[in-house]
Amino acid sequence: MKRYNIFIVGVGGQGLLTLGRIFGNAAIEAGHNVTVAEVHGLAQRGGTLNVQVRIGPGEAPTIPHGATDLFIALEALEAIRYSSYIGEHTRVVVNKFIWPPPLSKYPDLEQISLKLREKGVKPYFVDANEISRKASGTVISANIAILGFSYAVDEGLRNLLEYRHLEKSLQKVFSGKVFEINKVIRRLGYEEGRKAREKTD
Amino acid sequence: MGNEAIARGAIEAGICFASAYPGTPSTEIVEALADVAGKVGIHVEWSTNEKVAFEAAYASAIAGVKSLTAMKHVGVNVAADILMSSAYSGVNAGFVLVSADDPGQHSSQNEQDNRWYGLLAHIPVVEPSSPLDAYKLIKEAFKLSEKYMHPVIFRSTTRISHTRQSIELELDPFVERKCVGEFERNIERWVLVPAHGRKQKQRMMSIWRQIREEEGSPPFITVINPGMKKAIVASGIAYAYVDEVLDTINKKNEYTVVKVNLSVPLPLKPIKEVIEEAEKLVVVEELDPVVEMQIRSLAQEHGIAVRVHGKDLVPVNGELSLEIVYEVLARFEGREIAKPWKSIGRIKTNPEVPPRPPVMCAGCPHRSTFYILKVSANKAGLKNPIFTGDIGCYTLGYQKPFETQMTSFEMGGGVGIAYGLSKVVKEPVIGIVGDSTFYHACIPQSINIIYNMGKALVVVLDNYYTAMTGHQPHPGSGMLATGEKAPRIPAERILEAIGFKTYVINPMNIEESIEKVTNAYIEFKKGKPVAIVSRLKCALQVLRYARRSGIVLPAYGIEENKCTACMACINLLACPAIVVPSSSKKPEILEDICVGCGLCAYVCPFDAIVLKREGSPGWIKAWL
Repeated sequence: MKRYNIFIVGVGGQGLLTLGRIFGNAAIEAGHNVTVAEVHGLAQRGGTLNVQVRIGPGEAPTIPHGATDLFIALEALEAIRYSSYIGEHTRVVVNKFIWPPPLSKYPDLEQISLKLREKGVKPYFVDANEISRKASGTVISANIAILGFSYAVDEGLRNLLEYRHLEKSLQKVFSGKVFEINKVIRRLGYEEGRKAREKTD
Repeated sequence: MGNEAIARGAIEAGICFASAYPGTPSTEIVEALADVAGKVGIHVEWSTNEKVAFEAAYASAIAGVKSLTAMKHVGVNVAADILMSSAYSGVNAGFVLVSADDPGQHSSQNEQDNRWYGLLAHIPVVEPSSPLDAYKLIKEAFKLSEKYMHPVIFRSTTRISHTRQSIELELDPFVERKCVGEFERNIERWVLVPAHGRKQKQRMMSIWRQIREEEGSPPFITVINPGMKKAIVASGIAYAYVDEVLDTINKKNEYTVVKVNLSVPLPLKPIKEVIEEAEKLVVVEELDPVVEMQIRSLAQEHGIAVRVHGKDLVPVNGELSLEIVYEVLARFEGREIAKPWKSIGRIKTNPEVPPRPPVMCAGCPHRSTFYILKVSANKAGLKNPIFTGDIGCYTLGYQKPFETQMTSFEMGGGVGIAYGLSKVVKEPVIGIVGDSTFYHACIPQSINIIYNMGKALVVVLDNYYTAMTGHQPHPGSGMLATGEKAPRIPAERILEAIGFKTYVINPMNIEESIEKVTNAYIEFKKGKPVAIVSRLKCALQVLRYARRSGIVLPAYGIEENKCTACMACINLLACPAIVVPSSSKKPEILEDICVGCGLCAYVCPFDAIVLKREGSPGWIKAWL
């Protein structure tokens, strides 16, 4: 079996490590081998960040450029920064959120979408911050919203993991009230994703 | 996570003592051990620095209690003195130093290859190829250490330590734990005066030769598909890449692959057999040619005419990757091998995506302190101060607009370099270091300032934790690694005792702090020894605490009609909570990010920044 590669990008503090762990635990629940490569330390402090999840047999922790199956950007500028990891067949999900570094000029969402399309990518955009805010009052669970959304739009992921594996995994990472809220947020993200998928089908 | 796998393996191996100083990518080893210390009944600690950690764990092992010490690669430099001696005297129980190296410099000042320490000190180096390997091999490392009663270096790297993997625990019974030691009164062994040291070296060299002769079988050296004309020797994590590339191009049957997990000293027998059979060979290893050099020497020693490739094909900088190993193989074969991956390439936008270096968090007390230190310098007429720096989140002060970290070499340099400069330059010198760094390596330097009458001012940024590595407690925190209460050793008491007049400020009280620091500078200008301790909790911990206990922190907002878009807030503070949306010319504060430190409201010349969200009563206590 070829390894299934999930490349997650964003800004330190957006919950990328948690998202990577959730995928990792879900893969274990589903009985797959998995590696999740994280970066810690200074990179957490509002810097650019990536987490690489590889499901299937093998132990090399990092993903080659272009070999990504599912590309998740929790921040839209980061989608462009890491675009060389996207391949012709990569599913791309981008949070409708730009967090510009102080005093910088940057492209807007429209241009980001356009440039991706020029390369033959059909990106999905989702307002994961808004989904999180609606359900919990803060943007802190945008990572879980985008998880639900990605699961709905990416067939490859659905073939590997069942919904209950994700749920079990959430339960390992969160507990009590936080778990309950995140369950709701993941469901809302999933519903958004299902609608987006139907639109493109 | 690889680090948790190492911790788990060490517990199974029967350690009863673990000590470390935090440092990326090593930190989670002792963090994981500290979490279960009470339950398992072992001693786990954050020591003051790596030398102290090494000494503590080594002492445990000479008294017969199995122990582990862990540090990042550059931390081993701090412990190098005792490391060298430990190989001369050996141990009376398993003793493993975990060195977590950082190829690619994800979070370090260099990417030194610590396998050299093995060659330098005559200590074997065990190097896992994956987190799963780390779990299994740490146990083998302890066995190796006990077999020869010799220290062992266990070398991990970022991609092992910080990679998570599904690991099935082995069903071996746990090794019985011995927690009470006995000191062997053996002066010839433990007192390394020259006469004893010479004898001990003979013992050490005989162990060294024995390991080279005898440890050539799995799990340390694994020869896969022997007898081929082409061989690949892959050390540590390189094996994971080589294995996956060969699998992808379906060429496993064409090569003999040697998986090396004991890279120093490289066992002779299996390697000799492989190079006798092979016509050509490539050594794939990250960073320096440690294995390659040993193979070249072996081939030369035995007159074996194999063609050895290594660093002529494999980069000496940075991490390996599947793509690099792919290219190495193609060049080794002298032909193109089509890659199975095709990237869409880099996307160019206009304007381009701006760089995003790590920044000080919203509400970070270091931002306020840096601001206060600079404004006060103007007030006190302290001209062109030189700010030396150290290792921590505050190193980010090197960036604009602060530039209050003009050097950063190693732990302790903040004060040591400040002292040396103060003896030779005309400008005033201010040495700025973090709290954990102060305890770690700045106390001898502070003493040196007073003793040798240097003219440097010392600033300690006390945010209660070793923040950059994930908020481990330190001697100023009042807490142990395990969470229990501990005596607090405030930095100002040490500085006062050494002879500094010490000013303690709370950088959230901006006006009061500016006054205090200005006074401190004036004293300093008169030639008096002065130190400043700036104390306020790390904003990340405050935020976490507030979230957990349902405390609402205040947040600020910008009144559009008062804001003149002068950009003072942005230009002076570079706070990630203040942004200028592309649709507007005026700055805005992201309410989700703001934690209400109030510094921007203080600096705004037009009073346009006002409280937008009230904090719960008593919110200020979360910071203190």
